Amino acid sequence: MADHNPDSDPTPRTLLRRVLDTADPRTPRRPRSARAGARRALLEMASSRRLSGQTRTIARGRSRGARSVGRSAHVQASGHLEEQTPRTLLKNILLTAPESSILMPESVVKPVPAPEVVQPSRRESSCGSLELQLPELEPPTTLAPGLLAPGRRKQRLRLSMFQQGVDQGLSLSQEPQGNADASSLTRSLNLTFATPLQPQSVQRPGLARRPPARRAVDVGAFLRDLRDTSLAPPNIVLEDTQPFSQPTVGSPDVYHSLPCMPHTGAEDAEQATGRKTQSSGPGLQNNSPGKPAQFLAGVAEEVDAFALSFLSTSSGVSGEDEIEPLHDGVEEAEKKMEKEASPESASSTPESLQARRHHQFLEPAPMPGAAVLSSEPAEPLLVRHPLRPRTTGPRPRQDPHKAGLSHYVKLFSFYAKMPMERKALEMVEKCLDKYFQHLCDDLEVFAAHAGRKTVKPEDLELLMRRQGLVTDQVSLHVLVERHLPLEYRQLLIPCAYGGNSVFPAQ
Amino acid sequence: MALSTIVSQRKQIKRKAPRGFLKRVFKRKKPQLRLEKSGDLLVRFHPFSGWEWGTGEVHLNCLLFVHRLAEESRTNACESKCRVINKEHVLAAAKVILKKSRG
Repeated sequence: MADHNPDSDPTPRTLLRRVLDTADPRTPRRPRSARAGARRALLEMASSRRLSGQTRTIARGRSRGARSVGRSAHVQASGHLEEQTPRTLLKNILLTAPESSILMPESVVKPVPAPEVVQPSRRESSCGSLELQLPELEPPTTLAPGLLAPGRRKQRLRLSMFQQGVDQGLSLSQEPQGNADASSLTRSLNLTFATPLQPQSVQRPGLARRPPARRAVDVGAFLRDLRDTSLAPPNIVLEDTQPFSQPTVGSPDVYHSLPCMPHTGAEDAEQATGRKTQSSGPGLQNNSPGKPAQFLAGVAEEVDAFALSFLSTSSGVSGEDEIEPLHDGVEEAEKKMEKEASPESASSTPESLQARRHHQFLEPAPMPGAAVLSSEPAEPLLVRHPLRPRTTGPRPRQDPHKAGLSHYVKLFSFYAKMPMERKALEMVEKCLDKYFQHLCDDLEVFAAHAGRKTVKPEDLELLMRRQGLVTDQVSLHVLVERHLPLEYRQLLIPCAYGGNSVFPAQ
Repeated sequence: MALSTIVSQRKQIKRKAPRGFLKRVFKRKKPQLRLEKSGDLLVRFHPFSGWEWGTGEVHLNCLLFVHRLAEESRTNACESKCRVINKEHVLAAAKVILKKSRG
């Protein structure tokens, strides 16, 4: 403890230096710390003043703070040197100045007895930086009376405490000066250190984030709807026949039940393309009564329909194309007719594999009438109808061919954007056949011309150029971009990627 | 798969190339020839590595052929002021387009 005679006009610097010398030797900054301490004190004063609602300039605050600091320091120095109050006070100053030391004052606070706290607060009614610490002792004690927990816990809890403190401070800030003023200042001082994250949310609950209100998908209702729509036609279908074990016996029953079904199928036929599984069955049935002369065809169709309806109930969702369930249905019919087995859902996977094989059997179905816009020609299959129960002859050869062709025929009808006749679609198939023939020949010639046995993209480009599709104005890449989906574009058009690589490589 | 996103359900078109079909046709017609699979497969994260390469351009050719055919037959039908495309329209169109696509 150094003995300093108080100067006649104490500057804040000298006063604080005095205090510091008398205070805790732990403080690292000695000669310079006075200035820093003074600045700190001044800043604290200024900020607290600001926060307390009094709009004063920093200079004024500083001047006042200086004066008050001087006064308080003077008083403190003179009064309580023996009781080490300035030391503890300064410790509080130093510790509360940085933000992390929020905790410390509390721990320091506790051991400080109350009367000591009370006395200086009484004496320094006008705020000094030292005085700031004293009333600061009060709110922690009042706010967190039971907080003797370790520091980290305190830190988390302090936020809420600060919140309360803020509320109290804000409410108190309007009170007249005096102790309340001091306490409010300290509480407002708390504001500077406590990041006001929570206070905002507490004061404005509307700003708090709400979890997005998402309606849970009513899976139950969805499944119910599915079942309802899928069950309706098959119920009618299944009542009348025993399709699996005795197909021949079942066929007359099937035929009798024919008239019933078109009524249900009539409405669904329009939406046949929309509803993949169930309506394509009724769609088949709808077309069959159009030509009663084709009994066998009708029989086959009915069995197809039953198979399809069974499939729709059992396997549920079909493949991508609306033709696929028809394929499955047809395949079902085939298996029943020949093997007298009941494939049902077990064969749903092999059905999808063999779906294309039975493409031809679909073709008699939509042939009469024009309810469903499908592209299967009828004539070649009329021939096959009597053959179907007996042979598996040309099936594997023609069916995938027709299936692939049908893909392009559908594209044709899509591009044409006009309704088409069945015969026109057959015509298109023939054209496609011829076209593929020409294509292969040309490619062969080009590859041979280049001395290769493999057809490369260059050959194709040459072909397109000769066809007049690719010109000097229109390049291949332009055509690729126009007509192919994005995934193909990425595969066909060389593009530079990161790492100095080009894909596809040239 | 690249399905078209046309709203009308009737016109749901598969945009995927029927790769198996094209290869089969080519094999059947010209068993001695091979369709090239384009280049080396880059060891990159490519989400569409399952799709074919070599038949992409053949598919493009077919698409363009079908497109031209459809346009031509549509023109024929409009000229004869029919609202439906007939067999004759298609036949006439095919003659023209096949001649064009001879190469």
